[in-house]
Amino acid sequence: MIAVERLTRRFGLRTAVDEITFEVGRSEIVALLGPNGAGKTTTLRMLAGLIAPTSGTISIDGVPLTRASAAAIRARIGFLTESPGLWERLTIRENLRVYGRLYSLDDLDRRIDRALDLLLLADRASTRTAELSKGMKQKAALARTLLHDPPVLLLDEPTSGLDPEVTRGVRHLLDERRRAGCSILVSTHNLDEAERLSDRVAVLQERLVAFDRPAELRKRLTSGRVVVRVAANAPTYADVVRRVVGPHVSVDVDRTTIAVHLADADRDTPALVTALAAAGAQVLEVRPDTPALEDVYLHLMTDRTEQVERSDRRDGGDRRSRTERRTPSRVDDRG
Amino acid sequence: MDSGRVRTLVAKEFIELSRNRMVLLPVAVVTVLALALPFGIAIAVPALSGHPLGDDRDLLKVSAAVAAPDTLSSDARVQLFMFQQFLLMFLLTPITGAMALAAHSVVGEKQSRALEPLLASPISTGELLAAKVFGALVPTLAISFAGLALYAAGIVLFAEPGVATAMASLRTFVLIAFDAPAAALVSLQSAVLISSRVNDPRTAQQFGALIIIPLTAILVAQFTGSLWFSAATLGVIAGGLLGVWALLLAISVALFDRESILTRWR
Repeated sequence: MIAVERLTRRFGLRTAVDEITFEVGRSEIVALLGPNGAGKTTTLRMLAGLIAPTSGTISIDGVPLTRASAAAIRARIGFLTESPGLWERLTIRENLRVYGRLYSLDDLDRRIDRALDLLLLADRASTRTAELSKGMKQKAALARTLLHDPPVLLLDEPTSGLDPEVTRGVRHLLDERRRAGCSILVSTHNLDEAERLSDRVAVLQERLVAFDRPAELRKRLTSGRVVVRVAANAPTYADVVRRVVGPHVSVDVDRTTIAVHLADADRDTPALVTALAAAGAQVLEVRPDTPALEDVYLHLMTDRTEQVERSDRRDGGDRRSRTERRTPSRVDDRG
Repeated sequence: MDSGRVRTLVAKEFIELSRNRMVLLPVAVVTVLALALPFGIAIAVPALSGHPLGDDRDLLKVSAAVAAPDTLSSDARVQLFMFQQFLLMFLLTPITGAMALAAHSVVGEKQSRALEPLLASPISTGELLAAKVFGALVPTLAISFAGLALYAAGIVLFAEPGVATAMASLRTFVLIAFDAPAAALVSLQSAVLISSRVNDPRTAQQFGALIIIPLTAILVAQFTGSLWFSAATLGVIAGGLLGVWALLLAISVALFDRESILTRWR
């Protein structure tokens, strides 16, 4: 289990991560979403014990991460870095063997074979990694990450640049690790992946903008909006809809659909459908208007940007501070 | 420090080295030069020119610095002096290796992006740095000792009678067995230290090249006869070098900043 409390990291004057608090439970996958420079990689590096927080606490399986405990905690973590980071003159098997020995694993050959089988790399085990495609390298790096069966996985863009088939395989693998009880934190730009894979989503832009289940995040943007699809001539039923929902509620209509915001969808939807049917409409479908996670994400990001701008104006328009916020500094601008 | 982890990383360095032998070319070139120069000057040139070394009064005078057996001819005395001096060239071999390998060690791993997953493993800084030093030391010393074996064989085969026996002294032993590895350790550790503080292997190599300056000065001073290290002095120097190495190792560990290596280097 990963627990993060008011975690902050500053690089000089720039704040990369600002007081974020979240946790990843056992058998849970949390997706860390955010734009470039939002602090995702910095957060993962802090969790992996590679860089120290400026303030705040991290604990892994109940053990606080400190300078003294870092080495022991690193042994319990599988960290997939942004780049595969393989030794290119070594074969896949040799890469894995070195890491297996660094982790003092027993029964190493069996573990390596299992990791290779799991990622369908067995037939390429003796290939030098320099000769592998990007997808193969990423799979080899994943095999290295999983080799010591870590209870905590930190994955920085695990499917970045992979073809759909490999991506699917990786998702399947992470799903298996989740079922095996792992706590998994995945940094990604891929909103579709976040939605398919994760139990909860943490949206990060310096601060934690949102942390919830994808379905709950979508609800925030859309509560009560309903789409009714009719056989034809939807615009002719606009007035019928207005009579049900009231004149001040906006009704969006195109050729065959009517979208309307209901104060209480459970209460008002039957009345709306009854009124439409009474007016002669052939109602084909009624469904809640659920936005894509991408819409929710963009909405949250816009809100956050406006919030920062308002805060900057309140602070007297400190130009320097604003520049620092928006211009990644030389230090760690990958976030 | 877990010696198993150090051995694992050293073995990894050897595999990489065996698949990229060209990086050992500078070491091999210095070894060939260290072999060609003394035999060229002390054996080939006098034979080709018809002017024996013993005929040169200045050379005879300078070579008196070497405590040679009375039974040696004047030619043999000068050869002994020269072969003793050129022995120092074999100190340059591992230092060249240091520049070629160790300067690239940490910054090279960073540039190939292999350093971050390595630092995320349970390996400690001391283990990592020790592995980097020994991973470069062993192959360069191996080449150096192979060169020395050829040097000894060449003296036995081509030098004047008695020179080989006179060369097999305590001084030679101390120089080969203690000073060469100690000098190599110091230069390797310096190169690894520099490599962990710069963000470009070329910078590390340029700094590493500075290590050669004091050694060259000693070499020149010996050739002019103004400096002669006895076996005891060489022993003291070897001890001093080991002390410097231990100090450099401690400084390297203290200055190795995982955080800035990961966040500041591009």
